[in-house]
Formats: sequence, C-alpha cells, structure tokens
Amino acid sequence: MNPIESIREKLGTAEVWTESGGVHWLATSGVNVRQLAAVMNEVQARFVTITAIELPERGFRLEYLWDLGGQMLGFPFVLSANSVESIYDLCEAVDWIEREVHEGFAVDFLGRDYEPLLLRAGDKPGVNLHEELL
Amino acid sequence: MSYKIPMGPYHPALEEPYKLDMFCEGETVSDAKLHIGFNFRGIEHLAETRNYIQVIALMERVCGICSNIHTLTLCQAMEQLTGLTPPPRALYIRVVMAELERLHSHVLWAGIAGKLMGFKTMFMTCFALREKVMDVLQVISGNRVNYSMNCIGGVNRDISDPLAVLTMVEQLEREMVRTIIPIFTTSTTARSRCAGIGVLTHEKAISCGVVGPTARASGVAQDLRRAAPYAAYAELEFTVPVETAGDVRARLFVRALEIMESCRILRQALAKMPPGEWHGGDRKAVFSTGTAVSRVEAPRGEVVYSVSWKENSRNPARVHVRTPTFQNMPAIRWMVIGARLADTPLIQASIDPCYSCTDR
Repeated sequence: MNPIESIREKLGTAEVWTESGGVHWLATSGVNVRQLAAVMNEVQARFVTITAIELPERGFRLEYLWDLGGQMLGFPFVLSANSVESIYDLCEAVDWIEREVHEGFAVDFLGRDYEPLLLRAGDKPGVNLHEELL
Repeated sequence: MSYKIPMGPYHPALEEPYKLDMFCEGETVSDAKLHIGFNFRGIEHLAETRNYIQVIALMERVCGICSNIHTLTLCQAMEQLTGLTPPPRALYIRVVMAELERLHSHVLWAGIAGKLMGFKTMFMTCFALREKVMDVLQVISGNRVNYSMNCIGGVNRDISDPLAVLTMVEQLEREMVRTIIPIFTTSTTARSRCAGIGVLTHEKAISCGVVGPTARASGVAQDLRRAAPYAAYAELEFTVPVETAGDVRARLFVRALEIMESCRILRQALAKMPPGEWHGGDRKAVFSTGTAVSRVEAPRGEVVYSVSWKENSRNPARVHVRTPTFQNMPAIRWMVIGARLADTPLIQASIDPCYSCTDR
C-alpha cells in the first residue's frame, strides 16, 4: 500500500483523496486533529503550515498542510467555534504558526500557552485579520 | 551567576530587527526566547485588497533579497487557478532568475557571516562579487532588487541573448571558484570560528521542520527542485549537497556547494533555453473558485503560498505565505543552548534569517 493510502487507513476514514491546486486533499469529517498529527508523525510526513480562512457565514477553516516525499497533503478542518485542539505537543514545528493564527485571527489552540509574536497592534489577538474585530 | 541578556531588536549583528533574549550561566547560554513582529506590515491582509496584477507587485515586496521567488511562487499558484501554462522558454527564464537570486543571496549571507566572524576581507570580497551577480540580474531584468520578471502565464521579459548572459555567468563562476569557495571551505579563520558551534541535530531538524540549507546541513536531504520539481528543474542535472555535522560550518559548506550547483544549473539553462514565446500573450486570466498551493525552493528553503480565489473576483480571497525563515527561526533556540555568548550572533545568522519575510 502506498504511504498516502495508508494515511486513510490509519485515520479510519471512508473519505477519498482528491487532487486540486497542487494538493492531495482529504476531508476530515470524524477525524480529530490530534489523531491526524499522530498519524502524520507515524508516516514521517513533514509539517508545512496551517492556512486560516475566515468563513463568510461565521467560523474558520484551518487547512493543515504536510509534505510526504514531495507530495503536499492537505486536511481542512472547519471550526464552528473559534477554537481547536493544539498539536504542538505532538508536532513541534507547528509552534509559530499556531501562535500566528491565534494572534491574527483570535483562534484558540487549546492545551498550550502562547508567547506573543508581536504581530498585532494593541493587546487583543485577532485585530489584524479577524473581520469581526477589525 | 545567571543573567538574562537581550540581543536586539536593534543590534549590529542583526540585518533587521528581532529580539533574542538569552538566559546565561556565566558565558554559556542556558536557554533563549525569540520575539518577532517588528516588521509586520499586514501584507497578507493587503493582498486581499489588490487585483491579480497588483498582488504580484505587492508580494514582490515581501522580501528584499528573494523578491523574485515570491512572485514565482504566487504566479505558479495563480496559474493553477487560471489554467494558464507558461511556455517552455519562460520556465527556463524562471530557473535562470531563481538561480541568480540564490547566488546573490548566498554570497550576501557569506559576506555578513564574514563580518560576524571578524573576517572583514571575506565580507568585502563577497559584497564585491554580489554586485557582479546583481549586474547580471540588471542586464536581464533592468532591475537590481525587485526584478518584476514573473507574470501569470510566463515572464515579463525575454533573455534575448542567453549566450551573452552565459559568458557573464562563466566569468562569475571563475571568480567564485577563485575567491569565495576557498574561503568557505578551507580558510582556517572560517573553520575555527564555525566548526562545532550552533549544532542542530538531525532529530531536532526533523522535529522543528526546518527547511533549506539549514535542514540540509543537519543531514535532511530535502530540496523541492528535486522532490517536487517546478519551472524547468526536471530537465536539468544537479546534485543536492547534504552535510551531517549540523553546525555553522556545515551550513557554510552546504551554501558553498550550492553556489557551485547554481552555476551548473545556470550553464545548462542558458545553453538549453528553447526558442519561442516567453509570455502568456493576451490570454485573459479567468480564475476559478478554489485554493491552490505552490512551493518553491528559495535560497533559504521552502516558500509556500496558499492562494484562495472566488470566481469572477478580481482580488484573491486569501493569500497565505509561509516563508523559510518562519520555519527555521524557532530552531535558533536549540542552536544557542550550550553555546558561548560570543558565538550567538554568528549562530543566529547561520540560518540566513530574513525577518521581513517572517513578519510579512
């Protein structure tokens, strides 16, 4: 089984990979972000980044990107509330991007402390990019 | 005795502002905290207010050293969303620009490293040579810093006489071999100042997800030009230098070898450049709804652009930029722990940090 297919099996999801915009995407319904991080560690994928997108109706979509042997793998998570579990303890490489998303969009990554990145004006997170707070 | 010693945000060793708070036991660093954000310009947010022509000029200004890389990555993402494919000649021109930019970035870094080592001759030699690299970039693009070369579906300017540029590149290569490479690789001063300091272990490099020469100097053999080729890299021969020591000298060594590989790539690209169109022509950019992710191996490592668009919109819905320094900088903490205080300016510089890129 190729490594990308093995990720589906390890996550126990019935979703299928779709390729678009240079990324292999896997929908994450029923998948916990910490479970995903553990599986990506297991297959030795390299964490790339998290892209936060504010949804027009309310909430956020966080797109977690990993690299596996030169292939970009994407996992979108839709947040109804402005919080999600942190994966910092499982994947050290997410430290600064979790902090940046927290400061830029006021999304809370639960289970970790933040050192300010100084990317914000004033003392409230989210004032730069979070539409409601602009 | 314990001290907290701040370096920055304004310090002679830093090209741009950032802050490194070091906790020391005597002369030895026991821990460090990094603070960034002094160059935050809100570029990602600004991008959402610019149309598909303006956003290229905006993103060229994310970084003053690897400006071309940012427009290349952005244009590649926008090409995925529009379906516009650059002609083969444009792909070769993109390689030429990217490798010249790598040369001037690595030579600039070596100059700054030379200054931090107290090796002023190396500093001046490198900066004199960097001028010549920039002369070649000026001959091609008309500009020395922001080249305005990339556009959706191709490049803005042709290299009308590749063989003339090839002659300039060969001259550059001879000078590199005569001056910089021996300093990088065999100089006693460089060796004694760099060997064994600022070690980033292979395990820590993987754990921190570092990229580019910083990763390759710690034995992580990743290079997007090889792993996920873009532009015309799949048609060119080159090797990916990897060192395993993980110290400042290994980073110096990797960059020296990469300079030679860049010259090799440039020679091939200029000699093999196919004839034909180099611009997308008058084809209109029509964006489809969706997200495209593009990656490029910049001089400091992987640059990632995630670009989202809504159909019929002139502006992007979201542009997210992940720069190599953003990924590499947290590793400085692990490099300076256990180091002598006097070595920390050189250690932090050894990842070739770019704080403007990092803060955006």
